[in-house]
Amino acid sequence: MNNWQPVASPELIRLRAQSLKTIRRFFEQHNVLEVDTPVLSSATITDPFIESFQTHYIPLTRQIEHTRYYLHTSPEFAMKRLLAAGSGSIYQIAKVFRQGELSPRHNPEFTLLEWYREGWDHHQLMTEIDQLLTLLIAEHLPLAESRFISYQQAFEKHLHINPHTADINELMACARAQQLDNVLDKTDSKDRYLELLFSHCIEPFLGKPEQDKSEQTGKAQLCFLYHYPATQASLARITETNGVSVAERFEIFINGMELGNGFYELNNTQEQRERFVHDNEQRKHNGQQTVPLDEHFLAALETLPDCAGVAIGIERLLMVMSGSRHINNVLNFPFERA
Amino acid sequence: MATYNTNEFRSGLKLMIDGDPYAIVENEVVKPGKGQAFNRIKVKNLKTGRVVERTYKSGESVEAADVMDTELQYLYNDGEQWHFMHPETFEQIAADKAAVGDAEKWLKEQDMCTITLWNGNPLVVTPPNFVTLTVTDTDPGLKGDTSGGGGKPATMETGAVVQVPLFVQIGEELKIDTRTGKYVSRAKD
Repeated sequence: MNNWQPVASPELIRLRAQSLKTIRRFFEQHNVLEVDTPVLSSATITDPFIESFQTHYIPLTRQIEHTRYYLHTSPEFAMKRLLAAGSGSIYQIAKVFRQGELSPRHNPEFTLLEWYREGWDHHQLMTEIDQLLTLLIAEHLPLAESRFISYQQAFEKHLHINPHTADINELMACARAQQLDNVLDKTDSKDRYLELLFSHCIEPFLGKPEQDKSEQTGKAQLCFLYHYPATQASLARITETNGVSVAERFEIFINGMELGNGFYELNNTQEQRERFVHDNEQRKHNGQQTVPLDEHFLAALETLPDCAGVAIGIERLLMVMSGSRHINNVLNFPFERA
Repeated sequence: MATYNTNEFRSGLKLMIDGDPYAIVENEVVKPGKGQAFNRIKVKNLKTGRVVERTYKSGESVEAADVMDTELQYLYNDGEQWHFMHPETFEQIAADKAAVGDAEKWLKEQDMCTITLWNGNPLVVTPPNFVTLTVTDTDPGLKGDTSGGGGKPATMETGAVVQVPLFVQIGEELKIDTRTGKYVSRAKD
C-alpha cells in the first residue's frame, strides 16, 4: 500500500488546529460550555435523506445477545437532553457519520461544530454565527458584508416564483424552463421539486461574489437563508408570516456551498413525535429501513428551554479558508485511505 | 434490460439516454445536508460526440447501454465499408462511414484499431494514437534545411494532410499523433 500518507498538507493540518483553538477561545469568551456526548446511540435520526451507520454491541460473556447501535449523524439529540437538564448554552466539536455521502464536498465521517444558545431565537444565533465565521474566514478570504435573506426571496430573485404558494404545475414548468425536466415525475412531492430547483439553480450562486458594480464586487460573502417551507422544518419550530407557514430554520452558504444548518428549536414533544412517525412512514414507502425513535430525546423535549442551535461542517469551513475545491485536501486520511 | 443505479455512476460507464448510447464523463453528487440528493452527470453521446448535462434523483436506475470496446485489425475498404478482423478468431466486422467518421484518414491496412460496438454493431472507430504513414506528396523542401522551423503541408498515403517540417521528402515514413493530427517525428526503423 503506497497511499498510507496523509492527504492534507502540513499547512492544512496546522490550519485545522488553529481554527479549533480560535473556536474554543471564542466560546470561552462568550460563556458557552464545551460538552461531550456519545457517538453510539440506541436510536437515531428518522430523516429519510440521512442514513446512519449501524453496529452491534456484543456482550463479553453472552455472545448470542447483541443490540443494535447507531453512530450519530449529529450530536443534536444528546445535546438537547443536556439543555433540558439545565446545562445552559453549550457547544461541541464532534466526529459524525453519514452513510453514502462521498463527493468532493462530502466525507462519510466528518466534523461538526454544533452549538445551542439558551433563550435565543434563530435571528440572534445567526448574528453570532456571522461573528464567528467572519473571525475565522476573513483572515484568509476577503469577505463582503454578510447577507440575510429568506428562502422565498432567494426563489423570487433567481427563479421568479414564490416557493410557498407555487403549486406543483408551476414548479414543474419552472424545472422544465431550467432544463431540469425528466429528473422528477408527477408522483414526486412539491418539496422534491423545491429541492431540485434550489440545489441546481439557487445554491450555486449563494455567497458568490456579486457581479454588480458596488465596491464589494469580487468578494465572497456569507449568505444566511432563513424561513424554509414548513414541510422542510425537520426539528425547527413553525411560525406564520404574511399568512404562510414557515419553518424557523436557516442554512449558511458561501461561494455556492452549504456550511451549516440551524433551527429555532422545536420543544413540543407531540409535534416532534408526529414528524418522526411521518419520516418513518416515508421511509417505509421508499423501501428504506425504519429506525427506532429516540425516546430519551422526545422525553427531554418536555423541558427543553427555548433555544436556537446550529451545526457547522468544519471540513467545509476549512475548504473555504484554504480555497480547497475537494474535501480530501483538508482531511489527513479521507474515506478512501481510512 | 440491464440497469445501473446512480450509486454505481462513475466516468466511463455507458448509459442509454433518449435512445442513444452515452458514456459518463463526469459524475457529481449534489447532496444537501437535509433533502433529496441528485447525481448531476456530464455525458458524451457516443454517436455524435456531443457532451450534455443530465440530472438524476439519487437512487434511481438508468438503462445500461450495451457498448463495448474491441481491438480489431483494419483490413481494407471496399468503397462503402471498412472491414476489420479479430486477430485471433478471424471474425470480421464491417463499419460504415458514420462509425468511421474522421478516423478514415488515419486507417492503414493491418493497423490495430479500437472499435466500439453497440449491440454488436460498430458505433465508433478509433485509430491507434500513433500511426506511421508514408508521404505521397509534398513540395520539395530547401536543401540543407534541417532546422525544423516553419513547415509545409504533406499528403500521406491514407489521404491525410499533415503540417510537416520543411526537410521532409516524398517517400519518407512519418510518425503522426492521430489525436491532434500533428507530426511527431520521422519513423525510426
